[in-house]
Amino acid sequence: MQNLKKYFLLSLVSLGFVSCSSDDNNPAANNVTLEFNNTFKNTTIVLGNAASTSATANTSAAGQAHHFSELKYVISNIRLVKDNGDEVPYSVNDLDKGATVIDQAKTASLSYVLSNVPSATYKQIKFGLGIKAEQNTLDQVRFPNFYAAAGANDTAMMWEWGSGYRFTKIEGFYDADNKAMSIHTGSTVEGTAPNYTQGVNAYRDVTLNLTTNAVVGSTAPKIKIKADFDKLLSGKTNTITLSTGTGMNDNATPNVHTAAQMVKFVDNLGGNGSSDITGMFSVTAVEN
Amino acid sequence: MKKILGFVIAILFLTSCNSEDSEMLAIDNPEIDLKIPADFPELNAFVSQNKPTQYGVELGEKLFSDKRFSADNTISCSSCHIQENAFTDQKTQAVGIEGRIGLRNTPSIQNLAFMKFYNWDGSKLQLETQPLVPIITHEEMDSSILEVIGKIKDDASYKDLFRKTFGDENITPDRIYKSIAQFEYTLISANSKYDKVKRKETSFSESELKGYQIFQQKCASCHAGELFTDQSFRNIGFPLNTDTNEAGRARVTGVSSDFMSFRVPTLRNIEYTAPYGSFGQFSTLKSVLDYFDDGVLDADNLDPIFKGNGKKMPLTEEEKINLIAFMKTLSDTEFLKK
Repeated sequence: MQNLKKYFLLSLVSLGFVSCSSDDNNPAANNVTLEFNNTFKNTTIVLGNAASTSATANTSAAGQAHHFSELKYVISNIRLVKDNGDEVPYSVNDLDKGATVIDQAKTASLSYVLSNVPSATYKQIKFGLGIKAEQNTLDQVRFPNFYAAAGANDTAMMWEWGSGYRFTKIEGFYDADNKAMSIHTGSTVEGTAPNYTQGVNAYRDVTLNLTTNAVVGSTAPKIKIKADFDKLLSGKTNTITLSTGTGMNDNATPNVHTAAQMVKFVDNLGGNGSSDITGMFSVTAVEN
Repeated sequence: MKKILGFVIAILFLTSCNSEDSEMLAIDNPEIDLKIPADFPELNAFVSQNKPTQYGVELGEKLFSDKRFSADNTISCSSCHIQENAFTDQKTQAVGIEGRIGLRNTPSIQNLAFMKFYNWDGSKLQLETQPLVPIITHEEMDSSILEVIGKIKDDASYKDLFRKTFGDENITPDRIYKSIAQFEYTLISANSKYDKVKRKETSFSESELKGYQIFQQKCASCHAGELFTDQSFRNIGFPLNTDTNEAGRARVTGVSSDFMSFRVPTLRNIEYTAPYGSFGQFSTLKSVLDYFDDGVLDADNLDPIFKGNGKKMPLTEEEKINLIAFMKTLSDTEFLKK
């Protein structure tokens, strides 16, 4: 009984500490909001069907007009880098807590709130476009919430045949006659990194410098990230001309972009992992 | 306080009693000796990590024919993999729930323990990772593994089998995948007339023998070895599946030379697995041979065997008859029976 009293006292004391620190002007942690703005160059994309007059139109370097009816991608493996270079991972091993589907048709999905980020000054953000092979197994038991979100009928971010998630899903139209374009990317690797026994690794790690440091503490910063889908066809790595058909080089519909042609889109969107580690992404502002 | 202590001790006592009991009743679940036929290739390396056991196989077979694997409880694995057709379905492309048509022809699933690649495009290298695909695919069962477990978890016969196989009643995804694979590992077909001829128990007819000789000359470089496949992926200029999701092996590897290449299929029990081709392009063996004889479609990556021969494999009508007679000696009628 004497012991119990001690514990009670201890609990009271620690409660006191907790409440003290939350009253403090410098809390131990706060939220960081990632706000995604999906654009063609500097214009925010408006989706639309083939005949839409309101959809945002873009023209590629190769001269092809195009617009989108659907635009989704997966962000995971988020890390914030402190001004001293230390990396702070954000639930990187838990897709339920640390991954999300950005869906241009759902405004709420464009803001992703990182909660409980340790108070510090951050200079850089890193994240993955897609999902690392080790977590990309459609494991419903391990990550039930992400599985449900990605597999929802209005989201359809799964590649059932490859037992993995789709990393990007872009539907749209191109050229004057509005031919269908349908760009899906995802990984097909088997085995373990880095010695995969077969397949394509479509995961890309992106590193972005913040325009100004994000100060987490008494403030909950917002990091504005632009995803410029002009890069899809007119990227730093590849200039792509869309063509429709069932041949080896046709790339506008899923037949070959699930294979050799797919990597060109992946490198344009998420970078090639070496000379380009930003892909289509950039930070446009940090609001502290 | 004393009462509680007494209770705790009683529980401890009961518990220890129980554990002694279960040790005494330890289930005998012997490994099944896979009788490996002479000259077959090595087992897939993953078999050694999931060796078939008596109850594992029994459980796998039960799961294999359970229609609760599909969203509307209408389709099991065995709805498409029908034993009397050497585990195929006689359809050009597999048919899932609500009559949904799949991308490809249902492959036979014999001798999988000896295969290095699974599916037409070799997307899977380990059999335990395959069952999830039909469970979740829209055109197949359109369910999820937790939905399946939810439906079968209270079934006493499953509880019994999971306990006998794995030591307790827990039904987990991995256990389901493992037991289905164990069942499939036991599906070994090697008792056809061809096998009996090889074992000198019988002999070929004249036509079969001639067919065998032509086969050695013209077919055996791809349909090689005792599985009658060298497990390579080739584009042999078959009519193309225009479904935009089809790219053959290339959709797995990202290599353009794999475009519209498919795994060389085994010819064992080929008599029962019509129609033929990755999406059932050919209704009969004769029509396949006629196609080779007439000439195949050209492609940049057309297999050298056809590319170098004017995109053809010329065959006389008599040769075709004899080849078909030989291919029918690969039928293992015992394998088709329960």
